[in-house]
Amino acid sequence: MRFIVPIKQVPETNAVRMDEETGTMVREGVESIINPLDLYAIEIAIRLREQHGGEVISISMGPANAEKAIREAIAMGCDSGVLITDKAFAGSDTWATSYVLAAAIRRIGDPGLIICGERATDGDTGQVGPGIASFLDLPLATYVGKVEHVDNDVCRVRRLIESGYEVLETDMPAVLTVVKEVADPRLPTLRGKQKARKVEVPAWGADDLDTDPNRLGLKGSPTRVVKIFRPQVTRQCRKVTAVDEESIGPAVDELVEFLRQRELI
Amino acid sequence: MSTTPREQPGRRAKDGSAAPAGQYNALTPDIVRQLQEIVGQRYVIHGDAEKLQPYSHDEVPDPEYAHMPDCVVRPESTEQIAAIMALATRHRIPVTPRGAGSGLSGGAVPIYGGIVLLCDRMNRIIEVDPQNMVVVAQPGVVTNEINDAVREHGLFYAGYPMSVETCYVGGNVAENAGGGKAVKYGVTGRYVLGLELVTPKGEIVRLGGKLVKNVTGYDLIQLMVGSEGTLGVFTEITLKLMPLPKASVDLLVLFGTAEEAIESVPAIMTTAGVIPTSLEFMDRTSVQAACEYLNESIPYQQAGAMLIASVDGPDEEHVRQDYEAIGELCLQRGAMEVYVADNFTTSERIWSVRRNIPEAFAIVSPHQANEDLVVPTAAIPKLLEAMLKLSEKYGVTIPSYGHAGDGNLHTRIIKNPDWPLDKWRKTLPLVLEELYHATAELGGRISGEHGVGHKRKPYLSMFLSKQALEMMRAIKRAIDPQNILNPGKILDS
Repeated sequence: MRFIVPIKQVPETNAVRMDEETGTMVREGVESIINPLDLYAIEIAIRLREQHGGEVISISMGPANAEKAIREAIAMGCDSGVLITDKAFAGSDTWATSYVLAAAIRRIGDPGLIICGERATDGDTGQVGPGIASFLDLPLATYVGKVEHVDNDVCRVRRLIESGYEVLETDMPAVLTVVKEVADPRLPTLRGKQKARKVEVPAWGADDLDTDPNRLGLKGSPTRVVKIFRPQVTRQCRKVTAVDEESIGPAVDELVEFLRQRELI
Repeated sequence: MSTTPREQPGRRAKDGSAAPAGQYNALTPDIVRQLQEIVGQRYVIHGDAEKLQPYSHDEVPDPEYAHMPDCVVRPESTEQIAAIMALATRHRIPVTPRGAGSGLSGGAVPIYGGIVLLCDRMNRIIEVDPQNMVVVAQPGVVTNEINDAVREHGLFYAGYPMSVETCYVGGNVAENAGGGKAVKYGVTGRYVLGLELVTPKGEIVRLGGKLVKNVTGYDLIQLMVGSEGTLGVFTEITLKLMPLPKASVDLLVLFGTAEEAIESVPAIMTTAGVIPTSLEFMDRTSVQAACEYLNESIPYQQAGAMLIASVDGPDEEHVRQDYEAIGELCLQRGAMEVYVADNFTTSERIWSVRRNIPEAFAIVSPHQANEDLVVPTAAIPKLLEAMLKLSEKYGVTIPSYGHAGDGNLHTRIIKNPDWPLDKWRKTLPLVLEELYHATAELGGRISGEHGVGHKRKPYLSMFLSKQALEMMRAIKRAIDPQNILNPGKILDS
């Protein structure tokens, strides 16, 4: 089975500073890493290949140095990778990104499972995985915490929802976005690194993909960033204090009354 | 105004050593007023036990080694420090210099009370001189801030204690701090080119300068480095800088046995021909505790020991050749797996195993001895053997980990959680005594980088000859005849 893992190179967030005036990230001099949440997608893809055979192909759309992220994915155990890079892609929003990644997956052909991280730590939208599913017209399961079963016809997953878990069964091929619970990522090994260095990573541009030039990059992106601002914290804290045995009773009464007034108990 | 009641002549300090009879005078309200005049009223902490308490201990967890100061003064200039020392000399008041208090030997603990001289306001980087590749800093500068200040010049300060984010450079020099990168870069002393200091009598002395070579007279700088605040109070430190490495990689190597791991340590340097930045060893007990604590999913259960080897260099290609040479050598010598971390995510994951060992054992029992043994690098396997025997003989856990590449092991001796406290208190000195004997026999010493302080003082004669001890005492007497500067540390005069 062919497992395709779209990954994103992101700035390492511990080192990130914000430009106070523009509200945007200062990217200069910041190390680039694989989006940490994509590591779980890479790991589960490798494990499924170990169980079912086949291959894991990692793809990434980004500048030329995103090749480093692909080689790191190969060092972890992916079989190959494709870099999708072109000036025409610059400024893409999640819509245009999904469009291009879907075109790349179509060119690779014959996908079994397409496995994405839940979201990227920089943009934080979580839209690209579902976008790919939409452009490829494939079934989608988001927030997958466990892959219970995969064969050529069906895939059964347990997805994380607010009140617990939900078990979904989909036709194949399918797109999954996965959360941390799915599998703990492995570290790249020396042998993996050596292999990753030698593997050829093809770079595909707009001309290599069957795409409409008007739907690429900034031009093809319907999203406009109108304003960047800091959200106001609206939560209010109410502290009920008990310092000794005598004050416990009144404190509990106060808390119960507080919750009752809000019809929480 | 109350001061701590003065002890009777011959009272004993907390470490059991006798204070010379009637040596020190009480800190009178008048002296406090004079201290306030020197540094300003708000920079003297006095008469408030709660505010003084943080200055009664360092990072040594055992309260047995703590002692309250009578007051804390926070000077902001060399002249103020000179005035404080002159005042203390006139009245025979003990003075204990203090940096960030992250020490592990009790060096900054005022065991005879008196004045704690806190360097936190002496926190300016005076000069960055890229042409000469030096930085001049006051003692209260946080070590990491030096690197923040010189990075833009493509330089870095290679002294690297593990507490780099909190410790002060003055403390680093006073303890001759080592740390994780000593294999390649050596310890703090290698980088100290110049010092300005205040003597116990209150004189200001300048030593060395922006000089790579200097044999003009005795090397008093290196005498001051590692003197644990017993010979002078540093006020200005000139440090040598190095070109900032452009690339670095960390390897985590899993071995089946501790022997395979530890025997690979010298081979990495001799056979593979690479001097790593760091070369850390972790035995099975340490690895398992840390990995369980971290929920780490690397296959640690099968590993008898692990090494972390870090390399840095001017570009990625150099670094790749070095780490491949180390990795291949380890695989040839039977390593089960070699993991490679060349970015923040993976590097943090590898180092967090090493960094969380102390935390992981703190859960097992809060009662433990934190050792700092150092032996010739090639003698580490024998030291490990001795520790294993002691562990079996006395029924205590002795995890072993540390800077294997430079022979410095941070052994811990951990109380069996089922034991009553008095059994532990009886057993520990026996274990330590035997452990120190084994270390001495291997040509080792009791402290590689934490210092002696008052914590290790009772054992010094196991490692130093009578003549050597007398030379040290003579130096102390010559520089500090009244024995007022950090008395009771390293050795009794």
